[in-house]
Amino acid sequence: MAHPFPTRGARTAALVALTVAAATACGGGDAPEAEPTLRVALLTSGPVSDAGWYAGAYEGLMRIEQQFGAQVSHQQTATPAEFDEAFIAYATSGYDLIFAHGNEYQDAAIRAGERFPELTIVVSGGGRVSGNVAPLIFRLEEGSYLAGMAAAAMTESGIVGMVGGVEIPPARGTFVAFEAGARSVDPDIEVLEVFTGDWNDVAAAKEATVAQLSRGADVVIHNLDAASFAVFQAVREARAAGRTTWAVGMNSDQNDVAPDVIIGSAVIRIADAFVETVRMWQAGEVGGAAIYASTRQDVIDFVFNPELLDRVPPEIVQRVSEARDMIRAGTLDVPRIEFVEGEAGVR
Amino acid sequence: MTEAELSLFLEASVRLGIPLALAALGETISERSGVINIGLEGSIIAGALGGALGALAFGSAGLGVLTGAAAGMLVAAVFAAFAVGLGADQIITGTAVTLGGLGMTGAVYQARFGATGTELSLPTLQALPLPFLERIPLVGSALFAQAPTAYVAYVLAPMLWYWLFRTPAGLELRAVGEAPDAAKAAGVRVRRVRFLATLVGGVLAGVAGAHLALAHAGTFAENMSAGKGFIAIAVVVLGRWNPLLVLGAALFFGAASALQFFLQALGFDLPYQLFLALPYLLTLAALGGWVGRARAPAALAIPWESE
Repeated sequence: MAHPFPTRGARTAALVALTVAAATACGGGDAPEAEPTLRVALLTSGPVSDAGWYAGAYEGLMRIEQQFGAQVSHQQTATPAEFDEAFIAYATSGYDLIFAHGNEYQDAAIRAGERFPELTIVVSGGGRVSGNVAPLIFRLEEGSYLAGMAAAAMTESGIVGMVGGVEIPPARGTFVAFEAGARSVDPDIEVLEVFTGDWNDVAAAKEATVAQLSRGADVVIHNLDAASFAVFQAVREARAAGRTTWAVGMNSDQNDVAPDVIIGSAVIRIADAFVETVRMWQAGEVGGAAIYASTRQDVIDFVFNPELLDRVPPEIVQRVSEARDMIRAGTLDVPRIEFVEGEAGVR
Repeated sequence: MTEAELSLFLEASVRLGIPLALAALGETISERSGVINIGLEGSIIAGALGGALGALAFGSAGLGVLTGAAAGMLVAAVFAAFAVGLGADQIITGTAVTLGGLGMTGAVYQARFGATGTELSLPTLQALPLPFLERIPLVGSALFAQAPTAYVAYVLAPMLWYWLFRTPAGLELRAVGEAPDAAKAAGVRVRRVRFLATLVGGVLAGVAGAHLALAHAGTFAENMSAGKGFIAIAVVVLGRWNPLLVLGAALFFGAASALQFFLQALGFDLPYQLFLALPYLLTLAALGGWVGRARAPAALAIPWESE
């Protein structure tokens, strides 16, 4: 890609090169023989206290610190303008590997990858690929499909709901698969879908859930961050009002977040995937192509809530387990939305 | 929509409108005194965390509302110290207070409940249906079967209107917002009035935050204020700095978001951004003079120095 301002770009690159050289010189002076410490950073655009998508990434970062003795750092960026700044800050202070945890980082990651060829960036749910930028694609559709099967078995009204945050391809993909999983159990099931436009707006998520519950839905899955708490609360209140209602967790094992209402969770074992990605990076295998994490590596799964397992018909537990094996074996095709460059039909 | 659906929609509109109404009523008072508090969002999120911590500590949602109000006031006091006390730029100070509030509450929450977060089991503010009133057809349950904080907003709006436009103290406050030098010449203590007005705004924003945590979500989550402070500032404009109209404008904003969720749940495949934008378009229309005449207090956002 041509830089619109070549001279300024060149000057900045020269400046950056100088800074990096200076940093390496200082580091080298202190311990010339020592193995350089691995430096890994994590960028999130939401709080890691969501007990879900971002929390899983933060756990991954902590595991990388323990297992590889890496020097780690986390930064929460609020606006797209800060994405570029964060990449530059980490690149110029000598970080080797950056996990940018969200689709929203993909363009800034490509820009940073061009400026800093030594750096490797892994973009969770990203869609763009370059020599040193690799999307890490969680096939959460597979867990979401299994969640749909469980939801279809639990509903009495024949109506299930999905509450999402921002309508991005990875989020849409989970809902498409959830619907397909539900239909595989009950072809006539009605599936409601709402996007609130905000991952953390609890008031919006609460009302979106209430609206679906009042339309007759009695099992609700979410794809939200911190606002997921409001979905569980709405389901709990409907139950207090005398209805039999359930929620389904997403992104992390949320079963113990609201053990009274969550029937199970479509999980990404994000920490496992991060640790494995670092191993691949050390072997020089990261960059140039997307990394896929799925039920095959046990990164994606659907986990029933053990505390409510006695409420689930045993035959559905069996069917979900069989479907999981079939997905692993490649004999069951879960619908997905392709969004990575180079994938079928994506430019 | 059937009548049952319509009344569910109205209930959701009021639930979504109440936190906006509380914060916007407070902001009306501070803006009428010439202080635009962009730090409102910081007060709301502090109120949410303060409310949650207070409710946990005292085991009572009612006391949680009070601690939430105190937390909101504290944040507003920081803003007022710089913007009123030192005459710093109100927009820059407010932005700093908002960012600081979001960051601080996150840090405190993670320190107290762990970095990866969890759902808190808070004592919640239960809906308190008012006898007779809740049986008014259609709007009764929407307006009068709400959490007690909603009734605070209903009662405050006419009280603040009366106070602003019918009492000498209200006149002094408006004078400070229109012509602070003239007000000073008439013996009004400009800085004191602005400071107190900003604190009142902080208290109500804190109550709005506590309402979000205790009546709406039943938990605290980082960034849960989700821009409501800024929406409240738009509500004040749409309500033309008049507490009664501000209450109406807040309910209108609530209705616009509720409409979004209802139409989506009904299966209409409309872009949700459309509904999110609708009230702002009206706010722009109000500023442009197409929906009545909107005129901000003349000295709004202008730091005042006594010579």
